[in-house]
Amino acid sequence: MWSGELDSKILYVQTHGISDPGRSATPFFLAASAAAMECEVMIYFTMYGPTLLRRDVVDKIGPKGEVGQPLRFFIEQATGLGVRLLICQPSLDLNDLRLDELIDGVEMIGGAAFNDLAIAADAVISF
Amino acid sequence: MAESSVSADQVLDCTGLACPLPVVKTSQAIKKIEPGQVLELLATDPGVEPDMKAWSSRTGNELLSIGREGDVFHVLIRRAK
Repeated sequence: MWSGELDSKILYVQTHGISDPGRSATPFFLAASAAAMECEVMIYFTMYGPTLLRRDVVDKIGPKGEVGQPLRFFIEQATGLGVRLLICQPSLDLNDLRLDELIDGVEMIGGAAFNDLAIAADAVISF
Repeated sequence: MAESSVSADQVLDCTGLACPLPVVKTSQAIKKIEPGQVLELLATDPGVEPDMKAWSSRTGNELLSIGREGDVFHVLIRRAK
């Protein structure tokens, strides 16, 4: 799934969800920075991570609650620079979610694809 | 020519913006000038100096100088490609 068009590839992993908003935005910050440095970047959402991508949530939570930008701002900052967002079916099931409840553009993969991305990445950073 | 006498073809004002916005906006702005032209970034984020050094070395764009006037960093970058 890596295009290989850029020199470096970074895979971020977000395991935290809406119950811990302070941990919600940093992976998007770092992914946006990496994309701005001309790295190819993906974020894989697993465990509770997919809850951050719910379309009914992204405007309602942010890393500092009512203060500052909502999560959508940080997500769009990253995706606007080409960062790809990935999930897998078991973590949707864990959170009783369907793909159509998430924001547009989220890609479905599975465990084998995740491992393959990790092996081929220059760095895997997990939150 | 001394680096400080290089004049910018474009100025990008990121004062008041926090990480990662200066890096993100710089990466977008550099694509809008021609190779060889110079972008001047104005930023108050305290991490801008190590960030722009890392960004420049990764992207191949030339970091000409980083100066500071009060709280404002002035970063001159020449687009490489």
